[in-house]
Formats: sequence, structure tokens, C-alpha cells
Amino acid sequence: MAHAAPKHRQLPDKESKLFRELLTQYELKQYKKGIKAADTILKKFPNHGETLALKALTLHSSLPEPLTVSAVPKKEEAEAMARLAIKKDITSHITWHVLGILAKSRKDWDEASRAFAMARKQDPDNIPLIRDSIALLTHTRQYDLALAARHHYLLLRPQIRASWFALIIAHQLNGDLEEALAVCNDYQTTLKEEGATAPEKAQILLHILRIYIEAGKDQEGLDKLRQGVKDGVISHRGECTVLKAQMLTNLGRQEDALRTYQELLEQNSDNLEYYKGYLRNKGIDLSSELTDESRSKILDTLSTFSESFPRSAAPRRLALDFSAGDKFRELAKAYIVRGLERGVPSLFVDVKGVYTDSEKMKVVGEIVEEIVAKLEKDASLTDDDSISPPTMLLWAYYFLALHISYPLQTSPDYTRSIELLDQALEHTPTLPELYMAKAMVLKRSGDLLHAAYEMEKARLLDGQDRFLNGKAAKYWLRAGEIKKAEELLAMFTKKDLPATQDLTDLQCLWFLQEQGDAYRNQGNLALALKRYQALVTVFQDYEDDQYDFHTYCMRRMTFGGYVSLMRYEDQLRSHPGYFKGALAAIELYTRVHDDPSITEEKITPEEEAERKKQAKKAQKAEAKAKKAAATSGEKSDPVVPDEDPTGIQLLKTDTPLEDGLKLWKPLERLAAERIETWLAGYELYIRKKQYLAALRCLKNAQSISPAHPALQYQTLHFNKSTSSGSAGLPDTVKSVITSELPSLLPTPPAEFSQSLVDKAQSPEEIYYAAKGILEVDEKSTEKVTEVLSKLADKDLIPNIAFMAKALELVETKGTKEAADSLKEKYKARCPSAWVFQSPSEKENKLRLYQEGIAGFQGEPEEKK
Amino acid sequence: MDIRQATIDDLIGMQNANLLNLPENYTFKYFHVHSLPADYPREDEPSPNTEPSGHVTSISVLRPYRRLGLANKLMKQSQEAMVAHYNASHITLHVRKSNRAAISLYRDTLGFEVHAMEKAYYADGEDAYGMRYLFKKPGVVDQ
Repeated sequence: MAHAAPKHRQLPDKESKLFRELLTQYELKQYKKGIKAADTILKKFPNHGETLALKALTLHSSLPEPLTVSAVPKKEEAEAMARLAIKKDITSHITWHVLGILAKSRKDWDEASRAFAMARKQDPDNIPLIRDSIALLTHTRQYDLALAARHHYLLLRPQIRASWFALIIAHQLNGDLEEALAVCNDYQTTLKEEGATAPEKAQILLHILRIYIEAGKDQEGLDKLRQGVKDGVISHRGECTVLKAQMLTNLGRQEDALRTYQELLEQNSDNLEYYKGYLRNKGIDLSSELTDESRSKILDTLSTFSESFPRSAAPRRLALDFSAGDKFRELAKAYIVRGLERGVPSLFVDVKGVYTDSEKMKVVGEIVEEIVAKLEKDASLTDDDSISPPTMLLWAYYFLALHISYPLQTSPDYTRSIELLDQALEHTPTLPELYMAKAMVLKRSGDLLHAAYEMEKARLLDGQDRFLNGKAAKYWLRAGEIKKAEELLAMFTKKDLPATQDLTDLQCLWFLQEQGDAYRNQGNLALALKRYQALVTVFQDYEDDQYDFHTYCMRRMTFGGYVSLMRYEDQLRSHPGYFKGALAAIELYTRVHDDPSITEEKITPEEEAERKKQAKKAQKAEAKAKKAAATSGEKSDPVVPDEDPTGIQLLKTDTPLEDGLKLWKPLERLAAERIETWLAGYELYIRKKQYLAALRCLKNAQSISPAHPALQYQTLHFNKSTSSGSAGLPDTVKSVITSELPSLLPTPPAEFSQSLVDKAQSPEEIYYAAKGILEVDEKSTEKVTEVLSKLADKDLIPNIAFMAKALELVETKGTKEAADSLKEKYKARCPSAWVFQSPSEKENKLRLYQEGIAGFQGEPEEKK
Repeated sequence: MDIRQATIDDLIGMQNANLLNLPENYTFKYFHVHSLPADYPREDEPSPNTEPSGHVTSISVLRPYRRLGLANKLMKQSQEAMVAHYNASHITLHVRKSNRAAISLYRDTLGFEVHAMEKAYYADGEDAYGMRYLFKKPGVVDQ
């Protein structure tokens, strides 16, 4: 700064020296010393803004992470002090910079952006400030401003090599590939002389080659690649070969591309993408319907490959996808026999990929039935003297059991599945996989509790195996045994924390979802919401994690990883883990909106007593800890406790729909291709009485899947909601609805509803067609029951989830007699399903299961 | 089966697999830091004479996907990459003393040798074997 500091900022020599020391102490993380120095200055100059700011920053940095109880007031003090500092010195870059840093640590990106902008106005050439600004601007996706800041930085520090590369990346993120490549070329001559390490140089060149591909400049990229290999900058193997294959493919140089893919396959003959790349360059379009000619071309190629790479399953497995008819039968048989001979447990999971083709599913069943029959009779598959491995029959039973109970089967045969597995168990009673399979079959049959007991047996056979432990816990959760699940999980989580806490800290997605579902099914909506929100928080943390990488990756010159991180974060919430958790939470929020009374806790006297007992225990423990701390002289300073451990505050929200919309917004942007997104959006907007937004959801759903059953129901619901509630609607809204609705509802509601009933074939169609009837005539509950009874039809794949939903619908809208008779019908179709059992039946079964496991000889529990 | 270079889209799945299979777990950020290419020699190993080498922190196959030879194939691919990208001279790893299956894979199938024993290496007090695999450099005569 050319001009002298304003008067109120000037300090006498002694304090000025202290101030400089304070800066150093902060950088060296000597926070105690720093605070002391600041206090000395402030004693004489209590209004010195920059000292106040630095003290605030030092104090803030000294606080423990995670925040402890005693640190809370200190944090508030630091925040207040940073604000006071601005008041005392509003033209200082330091006071604004500090305010920005504190806002950043609160993840208040807006305030941080404003503060950094103010700071840069005061001191445009401040290097640390520009660096911080670039990170923040990139983080908030203001790529154009980040680029400008990057340029400015480069002008101030042109000698730093990494800044040039960072500029390339800034251009790339800003979408200007031409400019990115121009900087590459300008800087290229210097690259060779600069002192980057060899792996760094290789990483940089590989990334530049990726930019060439992205920019569609494959020929230039290819030249650069050749030069790079020639100069020894990159190895001709690995990643470089992949890029070369891509470039050659893009350039249409089929012969060269084929040779390159061949090279890649020799490096790794289990990579599916390499095979597909090879086939594409053979002129086969894999995305469209295959002709007989291209089919045989593909199979010939794959057959040659499986001879060259006998140890790789990939070409043989791919051939199952591309073959049909007798050829499929021949190839599938060879594939399955080989897998059974080796006792590959995942063979079924691998092969069932072809079941989307129902003909192939049938053929696989026939093949395995044949194998089982032959082995039972001859102990060998061949007619010579060779004998098949003795475990082969066991694995064939295992495969067949999973096959005949598979959910795509019209009439899954659970009884025979269990018989087959029992036969296998007679042969080898200690194989956990067989119990796991039994558990899976029982789960499919709807008997979740029995399934959990069988999975528990698998776990008991190998108590040290965390995978079996987690599976058993999941099955207990599904059976509603939450405590049992937690006890099991605790065997593998940190000893000094509850399992739930440790798994939440470790971002264990499956557990949060499953435990949330378990609580929801039990009616504990508060804890269910708590877990779903924890899932949402995990994704927020994934997003926030990227902040440090803005500077880290530039320093380490890991540009490829950095650019893919930026792109990944932009679509992070399209991950199925977020999708599922968010939809479950949104559903709870709509329920809270419809009936706020469900947020009142309904606890039994036993639960009340248990809770009091727990509270007393906690109190005692706390008192004990305090006493121990007092005697040992150590100050106990616990981490700030969760203010809402039961989730009740979450559930008792005054704004359930707004809370739900907050979770929905990312789905609207990132999962717009999923129909569930729009179905959930409709449920929120229709309740908010935002009819046009609700209509937009229906239209978007229609463009994805016009015949979706839930959409048809929602259309009828929308029609009813707008025709009854339309009195207060503005004319513009009314006219949009009148002009748009016919595209969704082409016939009068009654006729439309009847046509849904007539067409309904799948469980989902039947359920929603029945629900739709009520939107036309609330009183026709008899008809609803009649339609819903079709769910028990013999020719229909039984679907317990929809049966349970149907029963709930009839229980709330129809008579008790209707509900009972429907339940009997469902039970006749799904005799094992737990939800249709009477209390006494449940009790009897439970006793049986418990006896079954009491005599079970597993390994002793964990030895630790 | 599909053996390929992991991408950032796989990281959540890798974190999940780690939680399902192994007792030592980490948050997402750890997985991300370790998915970035490393520099050699490492910053924490300042000796200029240190030859580039690779280290296998952890390898794990989900229980239902055993008996496919996955661990073997993954190790071979990582060896390939270590030579191609870093010109590594050797690979090191630690293995629990009691893990006979893994020791047999490393020693008998992949050609590792035990070069050290580390007492109480694991958090639960178990000892570890330090194992090492030396790459043969093309054109370099063994001395």
C-alpha cells in the first residue's frame, strides 16, 4: 500500500513490534502467546481494530474440534470480537479478512464471499487474501471470478510454476477449453526446464491430454501424447494407453484403435470397457438392437478372446449378454458348470444379470435343474469316468434355491428353496453361505423374523467376520429388533462410544438408512427422521470436505483428481444413498403436515419407566464423572452434546413442508430423470397449495413415464384438489390448469379411473388404480377392496409390500370385515409373510425360532 | 467381474465396503486424499536417495465375492501401475500374523517375502509381518 496507514491504525514502535509478533504467533499456531500479545496491545489501545481482529482469529483457531462445552462461550466471544473489529476499523483488509475466515468456518459462504470482497477492495494485492478468495470463489462455483482472481495472482507471482497450471484448471472449470490449451502451449517450453518431479510431470501431461479429448482435439492430443512418450514424460502403459484408445476411436482410426484395445486387454483382460471399446471399433453399435450378423460377429470376437485369456471370466460372461436361443443355452451351461465346479458363491448374482430377459431366466433354470438331477443320479456330469467335485451338488442346490425364489419368478417356490438348502446343509453344516441363502429366501417370503434367526446362525459360524455381523444386524433391523442389532454392531465399533454414534461418525450409509426404516416401521418417527437427517448431513459433509482440496490439489498438482472432484461434487446428491434417505424423510414430513398429532409421543408405561431409569443412570454417571474429574484435578470438558438426541425437535417442526422441500431441491436438480423425484415433489407442492408447481411435477413425471401407476393416481388427486379448492384461485392459475390438465387426464375422471382398473396388471398398477377410485368417489370402498383382492391372484407375482399398503388403505377407509377378509386372502397367497400372522401365530413361531437357535452350535463369540 | 481403475464415483462404495469388511474405518475425506496420485519421494521421506516404492495399505474382498481370484488380480494390476507410473523398485505391505490365507496369497501366488516382524502393529495388539516384493528392472543385471 503506497499511502500511509490512517491514524487510528498506527501503533507506537513497541506495540507495532508486538503486533508483528502476534501475526507470526498465529501462523505458528502459538495461540496462547498470541492472545497474550494481543491483550497487551489492547490494554493500551482497546479500539485498535486490526489487533481485535487478530485476537478474534487466534482465539477462534485455538478452540478444540469438535467444540466442547467450555469452548462455546469463547467461540461466541471470538465472533463478537471480529464484528467489533470491523466497526473499529472498517477500511482494514485484516478486519474484513478475519470476518471472512470466521464466516467460512461456519460454512456461511455468502457472508464469507462478501467479507473477502470487501477485504480485497482495501488491499487488492494481498497474496494470502487472493489465495483464500480463489478457494472460496471456486467452492461457490463462481468460476469466472475465480479465474479473474487467478489471473491477478499470476501477475503478482509469475515465477511460481504451480500458478500457471492452476490457471489452466481455472480456464477448464470456467468452461473455456481453448484458452486452457492456449496457456498449456504458451507454457510448454518452460515446463521441460522447470523442476517438477517426474510423476508430477506425468500427471500434468495426462491431464492436458484429457483436456484435448474434452475439447474434441483428438489429433493434436495424439501428437502431444506421442511426444510425451518419446520424451519419457509418460509411460506408454496404463492410463496413457487408455487415452490413446479413446483418441483413436474418436478419430475413427479403427485399425489403430483395435490394436490399442488389444494392448490394453493384454494388460488387463478383466476390464469390460476394453472389450466394449474393441467391439465398437469392429463397427458394432452396442447401444442399439443387435442384428443376427452383429451378434455372431460379437460372439466370434469374444470366443477368440476367451481362448487368449483363459483365466478371465469377462469375455465368457459378456457372451451371455449378447447371445440368444440355443447358443445362449450352450454358453450359459458351460459358464454355470465352470462356476459350480469351482464353488463360486457369487455365481447366481453374476448370472442373474441376464434375467431381465425372461426367456433367458427360464433357460438358466432348466440348465441348473438338469445339472442337479444328473449329479444326484450319477455324481458326475459327464458319461466318462471323471467325477465332479463333491461340493458341486451343494453349490448347484444353492444356485437353484436362489433361482426359484427370485423375485422376478411369477410363482416363487420358497418351500422347495428351503428344502434344497437344507439338503445342502446336511452335506456341509458349517458353511455360512447356506444360512445366508436361507435367510434371503425367508426374507423374500416375507418372514423377516425367521430370516433374521437364520442370518444369526450364519454369523455364529464365524463370529470374527464383520461382513456376517453386519448382515445379521441388518436382518435384525428389518425384523424390528433394533436393540439386538445395536448389540451385534458394537462388537466391531469403537468401545468407548455407542455403536450408533460411531457408525454415524464414520458415515455408514446403510446403517443410517436401515435403522431409520426400522424406527419408522415401529412408529418411532422422531428417531426415524433423526437417522434420515443424519444421512443428509453425511452428504453435506461430503460436499464441505472439498474445501480443503481447492488449495491442496493445486499444491500437489493433482489436477485430474481435482477436476473430477469438482464435477463429482456438482452431482453428489444424485447418489442413491441420498436419494433414498431424502425421499424417506420427505414422506415423513408430509405425514407430519397431514396429521401433526403424530408428533406427540405415544409411549407405554413400561417405556416411560425405562426412560426414567435411563435418565437416572445417566445422572449418576455424570455425577460420578464429575467427582472423578474433581479428585484427579483434570477438568472434564465434554464435547457439546446433541441437543435433540431423540429427533423429537426435528419431528415437531412448524414447517414440515419447507423442511421437506429443502431436501427435495437437490433432487429436482440432480435426479430430474427419476420419476420418484417428481412424485415426491407433487406430494409437497399439492399440500402447499402451489398448484402450478404441483402440475409441473406431474408434467415432468409424465415425460419420464406417462403410464406410471402412481402418476395416474396423482392426476386424479390433482383434479379433485383443484376442482374442489379452486374457488380462491387466481384466474391465471385456473386457465393454466384448464389448458394443461387434459394432456394428463384425457377422459372424464370416472372414465379414466375405470380404465386404470381395467388395465391394472402389476401389483403397483392394482394398488394405485384402487387408490384412484377414492379420488373419484370416496364412498366406493367396496369396489376398492374388490380391486385390491386381485393382489392375491395366483398368476401375479406376490408383492408383500403392496399387500401391506393395500391392507392399511382398507383398514382406514373401509370396514373391519372387509379388511379381515382381505388379510385372509393375502395370507393364503403368502403364508409365511409375518405381517399377516395373528398374534398367537407369531408367538408360536417365535418360540420355534428361538428353540432352533438355542441348540445351534456356532463358533464361540469373539475371542477378544 | 470388471477390474478397472477406481474413479471418484467409486469412493462412497469403497468406504462402504471398508465398513462392511474391516475393523479399521475412515471418513470419506481419507479415501479422497488417498485416491489422489502421490509424489515420490514422499514429503515425509526426505532422503533424496530413496527409490520410489509402493505400499499396499489395505486390500479386501467382500465375502460373497470370494473364490473369484479378485485379490490376486487386483494386486497384479496395482503392481503393473506402480511400475508404469512410478517406476517403483519394490512394494511393501503389512499383514496380520494370523491371516494365513493372505500370507499364502502374497508369498506363494504373488512372490512376496517376509522381511520384518513388527510387534503389536495393530490396534488390538496383534503382530504384523512386513512383506516385500522386489520388481526386476529390465536391463539391470542382478548384483
